[in-house]
Amino acid sequence: MTEQTRHEIEITGVGKVFGQGETAFHALRNINLTIRTGEFFTLLGPSGCGKTTLLRVIAGFEQPTTGSLSINGQSVVGLAPNVRTVNTVFQNYALFPHMSVAENIGFGLKMLGRPRAEVAATTDEMLRLVRMESMAHRKPAELSGGQQQRVALARALAPRPRVLLLDEPLSALDLKLRKDMQSELKRLQIETGITFVFVTHDQEEALTMSDRLAVMNAGQILQLGSPHEIYNAPSERFVADFIGETNFLNLKVTARDGSGATVGLPGGATAQARLAEGISPAPGDTVPAVIRPEQVQLCPPGEGDMDGTVTGAVFFGTDTHVHLTLSDGQPFTVRRQNSADQPEPANGTPFGLRLTPGALQILRG
Amino acid sequence: MVGRDFDVRRLPGFGLIAVLTVIMLYLPIVILVVFSFNAEQSQTQWGGFSLRWYEAALNNRQVVDVSLRSLWLALAAAAIATVLATMAALATTRVSRFPGQTMIYALINQPLMVPEIVTGIALLIFVAFLKVQTGYSGMGYLVVAHAAFCIPFAYLPIRARLETMDLTLERAAADLYATPLQTFRYVTLPLLVPGILAGFMLGFVVSLDTVVITEFVKSAGQDTLPTYMLGQLRRVVTPEMNAIATLFLALSLVIVTLFFMISRKRG
Ligand SMILES: Nc1ncnc2c1ncn2[C@@H]1O[C@H](COP(=O)(O)OP(=O)(O)OP(=O)(O)O)[C@@H](O)[C@H]1O
Ligand SMILES: [Mg+2]
Repeated sequence: MTEQTRHEIEITGVGKVFGQGETAFHALRNINLTIRTGEFFTLLGPSGCGKTTLLRVIAGFEQPTTGSLSINGQSVVGLAPNVRTVNTVFQNYALFPHMSVAENIGFGLKMLGRPRAEVAATTDEMLRLVRMESMAHRKPAELSGGQQQRVALARALAPRPRVLLLDEPLSALDLKLRKDMQSELKRLQIETGITFVFVTHDQEEALTMSDRLAVMNAGQILQLGSPHEIYNAPSERFVADFIGETNFLNLKVTARDGSGATVGLPGGATAQARLAEGISPAPGDTVPAVIRPEQVQLCPPGEGDMDGTVTGAVFFGTDTHVHLTLSDGQPFTVRRQNSADQPEPANGTPFGLRLTPGALQILRG
Repeated sequence: MVGRDFDVRRLPGFGLIAVLTVIMLYLPIVILVVFSFNAEQSQTQWGGFSLRWYEAALNNRQVVDVSLRSLWLALAAAAIATVLATMAALATTRVSRFPGQTMIYALINQPLMVPEIVTGIALLIFVAFLKVQTGYSGMGYLVVAHAAFCIPFAYLPIRARLETMDLTLERAAADLYATPLQTFRYVTLPLLVPGILAGFMLGFVVSLDTVVITEFVKSAGQDTLPTYMLGQLRRVVTPEMNAIATLFLALSLVIVTLFFMISRKRG
């Protein structure tokens, strides 16, 4: 527990501006972030939001324009990459093409001036860890994408860094290999106890692998939390939309209590809703709210919290997405578990909609 | 690649121009080579096959002397030029952009832009001055002049290689605790070898070829193969000259072929 809550990386007010004057571009804006020792931390966001830039700032390839950064309690602003106890798995692997797999893996230790025997022993251990023993003498060009990825991982792990930075290491792999490598990465992280900072724009990957994640957009961190928190309690529309499917509703607040609010639903019923952090709407305000499609059950008309009419249904194997129009015209989707005796709902069928208590979330802004 | 819809071979006159170009390029050389095997001392009358002119050339002390001088001069000049060109290429690609970068690029490529005869005359005046001032008139002048002249030829392939090299490799080395010097030694330099070899070969061939620079810089008794041949041509032209030229051509071909083979294999 004490190990879990130690601070490995502390990023305070970091901003990064590329260019000057007219062409200045803010790639990072006021990033505040604490990454704990030994956790699997993920940066999630759309292309161009600044994920790689933030990793490069941590690795030392880029100096922050403003703010400060410390690793293991020591400020590293101004320190070159080769003196930071941080290793990177690059987006394109960047294996040295003229060296064998074993030479690639041993490179870091060799540069650190470790004795030859230690380099050889660690290289062997790493080869075993990523299950590449039989290919120690191949050149990177003779490896498949997944194998190259494992070598890149082993090379970065061999010097036992305090922190491993991984920049979309799985994005070039096909789905099957990707799934395998996801569990492999997770296993390696647990076995080595090294802090992983993982970058991805795949929300499913982020949810399944991370201890905590930060959702980024346009150079800012929008929300930080466990996968559970991010998925079930998104703080703003972008986060809710980026992670999984969701229903957006504009609702009127009818009453407030300590941690939540009562809102009026289309059709006149009311429901309890949770509030995103830092907001305090007053009764009478119209607020944006979300609820996940799997948090709503279909029931006979009039028996639920709202009523809707089916406009379409899409079959997904284990479940069906039923698209409806609510009584006030807003679109809505319900995910229904499939079972053999249930017919697909026909267009125009009226249904009642029952919301799982506590699943409705009011967003910021 | 270009699709089927556009094929230059279908343009009118394509075949004719191609044939004429090939004739212009190779016919004179073919004739030169053929007559190097002529049994008679004629450049127009074929008198049967013979190796007598090759025998004469190889038994000619002077030919052997100037050939050896050409070879070691080219080796020395290419070696110096390659080292300098490598440093220049690093200094123009592995730095953050600085004002005057294009200017430096132009300066390095001076020999490609200044007419050779102008460089030659400038060197003639300059070197003559130095010879008088220092009393030294050895091969040093030729080595330095050739090296300077070869730099851009060595520079271009090295720079091209550096520009296509993945910068993240050097970043990865730095990430794995390599100092800048170690990064150069273990990553940049090994990957640069094909470019360096290509640069060396080009520099070598250019030095071997150069007539104008040598002609203006050399002192008495410092003829290279090209200037020797030029001198001989002012007298009687026997097929011995064809034989020497053919051998010279063969040497150049071997070097260029080697260069292609090495760059294909390593590239
Ligand atoms: N050296 C640079 N000069 C100018 N702009 C840059 C530079 N590096 C990055 N940027 C800009 O900063 C923004 C963030 O880039 P970054 O590479 O961090 O994105 P990313 O989140 O990693 O995206 P992706 O998922 O596509 O890899 C982009 O708009 C990019 O164009
Ligand atoms: Mg990126």
